[in-house]
Amino acid sequence: MKHRRVLLVAAFLAVLILLLGACAAPVAPAGEESQPAAEGEAAATGGEPVTITFWNAMSGSRGEVVDDLVNSFNEKNPNITVESEYTGSYAETLTKALAAYKAGDAPTIVQVYEVGTQTMLDSGAIVPVYTLNQGEVDWNEVVDPIRKYYSVNGDLYCMPFNSSTAMLYYNKDMFEAAGLDPNSPPTTWAELEADAKAIMDAGVAEGGFSMGWPAWILEQMFAYHDQLYANNDNGRSGLADEVYVNSDFGDMVLSEWQRMADEGVLVYGGRTYKANDPFLAGQFPFLFQSTSSLAGILKKADFAVGTAFLPRFDGDYGKGNSVVGGGCLWLMDTATPEQQAAAWEFFKYTFSPERAIIWHKGTGYFPTSNTAYEMLKEEGWFEEEPNHATAFNQILSGADTPAALGVLLGNFVQIRDIVGTAIEDIVVNGQDPQETLDKAAAEANQVLADYKSLVQQ
Amino acid sequence: MQTHFPNKALPYILLSPSVIVVLIFFVIPSVDSLYLSFFRVNMLGTKQIFVGMQNFTRLFKDTAYLNSVVVSVKFAIFVVFGGLSASLGIAVVANQRYRGFGVYRTLLIWPYALSPAIAALIWGLMMDPSFGVVSHIIQSLTGIRFSYLTNGFHALLFLSVAATWKMLGYNIIFFLAGLQSMQPELLEAASIDGANSWQRFWRIVFPLLSPTTFFLFIMNTLYAFFQVFGMVHITTEGGPGRATDLLVFKLYRDGFIGMNTGFASAQSIVLLIMVATLTIVQFRYAGSRVVYR
Repeated sequence: MKHRRVLLVAAFLAVLILLLGACAAPVAPAGEESQPAAEGEAAATGGEPVTITFWNAMSGSRGEVVDDLVNSFNEKNPNITVESEYTGSYAETLTKALAAYKAGDAPTIVQVYEVGTQTMLDSGAIVPVYTLNQGEVDWNEVVDPIRKYYSVNGDLYCMPFNSSTAMLYYNKDMFEAAGLDPNSPPTTWAELEADAKAIMDAGVAEGGFSMGWPAWILEQMFAYHDQLYANNDNGRSGLADEVYVNSDFGDMVLSEWQRMADEGVLVYGGRTYKANDPFLAGQFPFLFQSTSSLAGILKKADFAVGTAFLPRFDGDYGKGNSVVGGGCLWLMDTATPEQQAAAWEFFKYTFSPERAIIWHKGTGYFPTSNTAYEMLKEEGWFEEEPNHATAFNQILSGADTPAALGVLLGNFVQIRDIVGTAIEDIVVNGQDPQETLDKAAAEANQVLADYKSLVQQ
Repeated sequence: MQTHFPNKALPYILLSPSVIVVLIFFVIPSVDSLYLSFFRVNMLGTKQIFVGMQNFTRLFKDTAYLNSVVVSVKFAIFVVFGGLSASLGIAVVANQRYRGFGVYRTLLIWPYALSPAIAALIWGLMMDPSFGVVSHIIQSLTGIRFSYLTNGFHALLFLSVAATWKMLGYNIIFFLAGLQSMQPELLEAASIDGANSWQRFWRIVFPLLSPTTFFLFIMNTLYAFFQVFGMVHITTEGGPGRATDLLVFKLYRDGFIGMNTGFASAQSIVLLIMVATLTIVQFRYAGSRVVYR
């Protein structure tokens, strides 16, 4: 009897220990070396059926276009099955992919937004896309600013997929109602303010303008005026460890925004897409927003929508460019050579002009290939839909400087959050711009220092 | 009372499911958090640097964190005291015996049945600065333009009211149960002795309800500190600025947006200690005053 009891207790303890072990096991694989990219092997496209997974953040109508893309690829390639999975927002998709990698269950391909670029580069968990290319794709085919954004030392690290930038949307009906010419949108902030005030004075709108993704719009302003956002050429000639968000330029922009907010011209509209609704409802005539909102805004607006280049600040600032945002497709190094070859087939397919055109028309994102752009032009698409040409002309007309390429930062997600909070504190809560930006920069620099210490460990 | 089991191991086996659940969902993650709170960890978790107490010292020097503490305390005070008094008032009214009140009482628990996400969406739409019905009514009645997106005070008020409303049904049910289990003889005797309804409530009903009140006090405090993440996430996202950056939301931001695992772990440990202390203090202090029958 006593013997049995001991046995039972022992069995119970054993179960507990097993459970503990199972839970604790995946916690600390410290210092794990990543696999070097399998260069030569990847080219082999065997006859064996291969399945690859593709995690993406495309929901709603964009998700449907992705499904269509994947289905038609699978039909054309009977040996390859791409399993596409919607894994939540960009931030969630990135977090999930990293967590899955940790647990040894990574997807083959993951779509990561521009903010996650440095993280992916330093992760040691990816196969750079340039290593897969055996001369089948001419990288110069990729639209210049997009290629450069995702390249390090001239080598492309991920497959450009959905790229967008910021532009100015405006309500043409309000222009007419206030006696302004709807076909001459403002080109500077001073003109924007004057137009906004004229429209407000005419009693047509309550406010002047709002913006989605304000921290991103601030980054755009830096790049657009050829101002570096961080040291080491925006983190492109080496890991950035200092942000310049509190520079004279940053202070000037935020002081202007604060003044305009005080005067009721700038209507704060949240950190993502919340500003779209009041714009559509006619509360203000101008909206700064990603081009990826274009299709949605055109569909929902009951007024004539105009689009224009981002406005410039008066003053002696250089000419830069608006920065590419959106997503890029990364290949994880857990993929077998067969899967890598299959992923490369898929990448090539997404990049083919036919698919790039379908993608552009269905979503409003840029066509990523120059040929696709030329084909769209020949077809007369841009004359038919001039709003679809605006952002494209904007990024193609910009300068090619380090500042204009956009910034790469370690843990950019957190830094954008810090800057976003600072903008709210200045614009909404009326705090001193320089002081608040200094504080935000100190916080951001701390994040960069921590990041650097981990990368260099 | 003691139960005798024929086999000494049986009670342990019967206990094991709950022990295992507690271990997996509470003890192991807590120990893991404690461990990680001494490290700086990269996003993949593949690199760790031991930093000692640095995460904690940074935490208490971090103005953003201290701000979160203040915001959370303000929020909790509103939710606990506002919520408990409102629900007690409603429960007393709903406890009267009129025709149809049974249905009415049932309807009162509806807010609790909603998921936080849906409740937050409803409130967000009602109070939306540009097209919300309620914010429109507020503006036409008082001239105040209510905007939880652009006014820090409005945002915290909005969130507090919404969170309180969400918890009302739960509180009311417990208060109603307390009220209905009260022996009517006590109140009758008090009436005969000449106590008016005000005196009857404060001298008899309220003290007799104190176990319920105490229980709800703890539940609401825990709710205000721990369970409001969904509402913040869907409506204000901690903003504007850091006006509604509650402790749980700050933890989420640092841990899951910033992927700063070590720093977030330190926060979770502090939060755990805070709430544990709070509960112990509440039990100690309030235990002596509560009338248990």
